[in-house]
Amino acid sequence: MSNFFTALFNYSFMQHAMLACLLASIGCGIIGTYVVVKRIGFLAGGIAHSVLAGMGIAYFIGSSPLAGAMIAALIAGILIGWINLHWRQHEDILIAAFWSVGMAIGILFISRTPGYSIDLMSYMFGNILLVSGQDLYLMLILDIVIIITVMLFYKQFLAAAFDEEFSRLRGINVEFFYILLLCMVALTVVLLIQIVGLILVLALLILPAATAAQFAGTIKRMMVVSIILSIATTTLGLVISYEPDLPSGATIIIVAGFVYVLGIICHKVLTQTKSV
Amino acid sequence: MNPVIQLDDVSFAYSGMPVVKNINLAIGEEEFLGIVGPNAGGKSTLLKLILGLLQPDTGMITVMGMTPEQGRSRIGYVPQHPTFSRDFPITVQDTVLLGRLGNTRWYGPYLKQDRDIAKQAMQAVEIADIRYRPVGSLSGGQLQRVLIARALACKPDILILDEPTANIDMRVEEDIFGLLKQYNEHMTIIVVSHDIGFISGYVDRVACLNQTLVCHTTEEISGKIIEELYGAPVKMIQHSH
Repeated sequence: MSNFFTALFNYSFMQHAMLACLLASIGCGIIGTYVVVKRIGFLAGGIAHSVLAGMGIAYFIGSSPLAGAMIAALIAGILIGWINLHWRQHEDILIAAFWSVGMAIGILFISRTPGYSIDLMSYMFGNILLVSGQDLYLMLILDIVIIITVMLFYKQFLAAAFDEEFSRLRGINVEFFYILLLCMVALTVVLLIQIVGLILVLALLILPAATAAQFAGTIKRMMVVSIILSIATTTLGLVISYEPDLPSGATIIIVAGFVYVLGIICHKVLTQTKSV
Repeated sequence: MNPVIQLDDVSFAYSGMPVVKNINLAIGEEEFLGIVGPNAGGKSTLLKLILGLLQPDTGMITVMGMTPEQGRSRIGYVPQHPTFSRDFPITVQDTVLLGRLGNTRWYGPYLKQDRDIAKQAMQAVEIADIRYRPVGSLSGGQLQRVLIARALACKPDILILDEPTANIDMRVEEDIFGLLKQYNEHMTIIVVSHDIGFISGYVDRVACLNQTLVCHTTEEISGKIIEELYGAPVKMIQHSH
């Protein structure tokens, strides 16, 4: 533990890692809340995994994998949403298709790229200790975009997530806000890839918000609680993983899973003592 | 009479199965119309056509002289069953505030004026004291009042209610219809019900819908008409009008 704090004070990579946890948690808590209440967890998973296609292509043509990830995530979000709304395919099959085909495209391009793709491995499994100053700026911008969008359209997002039919009657373009939400999910996925990698993004997107859902009675409170839980989870995961040199992404997810189970147990105990 | 809702020869079928046929109906300003009919007689379908949630196969519908999609912003709608999941984290007050959408600014939080209107709507149906409760914790009757308050918060010219009292006890049902009667002084009200005997004490006109539609003034409602509609003898409660 003390080694962790020494590192935190002495090394910029450690400070970057802590800042990354903080920045990722903001977007993750806000958008994760919508993902949980709208029950689109696996849709978010589909977007996250199809991101590999964008990263693979970007790597192949020698541009930034993160830029590729962002473009791929937005395309996947818009396409999944649009097909879902207009072609009336079964959602689970659609998600599975994007999930696996996206990864397959990524793997093909990576295999054709000369050299060992160490960076790419870190994007798949996350390597929070490699977060650069430039990455932090990108994360900050993504957070600002997410916060402004949600502040502007809080009413509409709430209405469309809660009661589609009524929202439509009140003149809200439910389809537009559905696709906008998926775009926000896509941005959040890119935000979280740095921390836990695209394979494990889904857990960090869902678990803190699902834990918060046990205790928070409104969307706003759920967002605040899941941001706090997410900061606590990622930081604790980072601290635990540092000394024994465990993979930080995996450690963070296990902490998040542990917190979720703890949350469910607390909720059960609380409601039982209330009803007695 | 200038009709606020007009249906001309409207027909609609679900994948080839006719649900409503050749409906002609003009609903006047400040009219209180009851729609009755057997289950699967097309009552909810007719409402969805008026709300523009379904498109008629033939015929034309106007709401306040506009298409249903344009005119429906003037309608407050109370669905038969809540179309949302009960465990969604939202309070009574936030649910009622959704009625302000379309009449408030498009960005940012609600205005004070919106909150005042929502408060009035909650006071009208006596749910102001439970406004911070999550909707998931409400009883069927309380939830029904929330749905009515949400529709009232739209400040509508037309109020449409689909079986508003289906899962509410008799006393509350009387309360709600008494309230509707009051609102009827400045609002057109359409209410779907299975209980023709009860509503005929409140409404001006009853539309009997079983694929096709026949209108009666409340004075005409007799056991014979109900029997024709439902195809079986129905016990009739006499009202004094």
